Amino acid sequence: MLIASSDEQPRRKLLKRFPVPYNAQVPKEFRIQPGKSWPVPDGAKRIKRLNIYRYNPETGEPPRIDTFAIDRDKCGPMLLDALIKIKDEIDPTLTFRRSCREGVCGSCAMNIDGTNWLACIRDLDEIDDPATVYPLNNLDIVRDLVGDQTHAFAQYAAVQPWLEAEPPADGKEHLQTPEQRRELDGYYECILCFCCTSGCPSHWWNGDRFLGPAVLLQAWRFIADSRDEATGKRLDELEDPFRLYRCHTILNCTRTCPKGLNPGKAIAEIKHKMITRQS
Amino acid sequence: MDNAPRPRSPHVQVYRPQLTSVLSFGHRLSGIFLSLGAVLLVAWLLAAVTGSASFGYLNAGLGSLPGLALLFVWTLALFFHLCNGIRHLFWDAVIGFELRTIYLTGWIVVFASIGLTLVTWALALWQMG
Amino acid sequence: MANDENHIAVQRARGLGSARAGVSAWRWQRVTAVALVPLVIWSLASLIAVAGGGREAVVGWLAQPAAAIPAILLLIALFWHTALGLTVVAEDYLHHGGVRMIAVALIQLGCLVLAVAGVAAVIMAIATGASG
Repeated sequence: MLIASSDEQPRRKLLKRFPVPYNAQVPKEFRIQPGKSWPVPDGAKRIKRLNIYRYNPETGEPPRIDTFAIDRDKCGPMLLDALIKIKDEIDPTLTFRRSCREGVCGSCAMNIDGTNWLACIRDLDEIDDPATVYPLNNLDIVRDLVGDQTHAFAQYAAVQPWLEAEPPADGKEHLQTPEQRRELDGYYECILCFCCTSGCPSHWWNGDRFLGPAVLLQAWRFIADSRDEATGKRLDELEDPFRLYRCHTILNCTRTCPKGLNPGKAIAEIKHKMITRQS
Repeated sequence: MDNAPRPRSPHVQVYRPQLTSVLSFGHRLSGIFLSLGAVLLVAWLLAAVTGSASFGYLNAGLGSLPGLALLFVWTLALFFHLCNGIRHLFWDAVIGFELRTIYLTGWIVVFASIGLTLVTWALALWQMG
Repeated sequence: MANDENHIAVQRARGLGSARAGVSAWRWQRVTAVALVPLVIWSLASLIAVAGGGREAVVGWLAQPAAAIPAILLLIALFWHTALGLTVVAEDYLHHGGVRMIAVALIQLGCLVLAVAGVAAVIMAIATGASG
């Protein structure tokens, strides 16, 4: 009942999904259909079943859910190990992003058992049987578990995520005390996996104009940076009923961050700066 | 790149309800329900002050069994929105964002709302005899 | 080209630029909320105490300044808070610009009308109390 850190899974799940129709608001040609049930490996004693979202733009078929079964005794411990094993031995067309396999690059972010996390650091013990694997929410799907992140990164570019400052007089570094550097802790570590933004209901409804938790956390990272000289301009750009103020402190973002960061708090800090500069 | 339409990955259809999103939606739902009650409150005040017959009808309606049930749900909505609102005010002061605190205060709000509703109704019924 | 696509995407993300507004609504929502905490508790307690007594009891109670003044403050804070809250809800769920603007206008006007009607009721009670 009491969750202390984002990697904790609840012991009991009352509801697996909100009681809305499974294909609510989906155009007819894209309604998710039941898919293929792949064969269970022979002689396997510990089996894990995975229900995985599949979509192939070349066939013209609607998206579907395929069920795979893997032998846990012949597979690594993490969900990403299972996905790679499926791609190697069962269905080579299964498509997903991956790189570092240690939770630092953000490539394998996906919706696992209803919440967003990195596949490479989600242990197969911690997920249901059958587990459900969907792509990150509310993204246009390129293929299978790969979503189009162009808009998410465009919103990131729009907040100018770089230091804006005149060079110091002596031409050397911008100096910063350890206390000033500590202000960036909890914000600079973001790996831009977009688990938080994909899990934000406000971004689902208004993602075209609301920047979302990941981008706003990075915006705060630069506002909080003592070396940055464009604070006023950054706050002007954020002060908008949609860009910033679609955040209603739902806090799905903080709950889901695989790096344990706190986008909700960063956004509250931005709103606090907005108020303090007015009085 | 081709510009053919592509499916959007599911969101509300598959995301797991958590304390965070459920309480936030409850805050919104209770707020909307309270707004409807506020309209009724103004109607009731006007009826009382203008001496119209509708005051009697309103009171009779509210005193009936479905009316009392509605009032009970309305007080529950009121206390939930009040307690969760205070939780929101702390967040606006950038206090209480650690995940453990979010969950602890969330459950406190849920139990306090139910408790305050029951206590208020007990007091009201006892006071009216 | 990927660069063109990204450039177009960034322009689309920038949209019409920042409105440089929104702090005011956020602030007044919180101010009215803080005001409503004591006012709502007082109103609930008063309503429970007075509602069972019949119409004359309600009007008589409302006519006293100790009840009329907080009642008027409650009505103002309540409908201001409601207008701001429902405006945000409409902005969240209505995506067609014209529909959204009309809905927000109706919400804000409706709350103004209700607030004025409520305050008028309190003033009428005071008048009844003064003359009767």
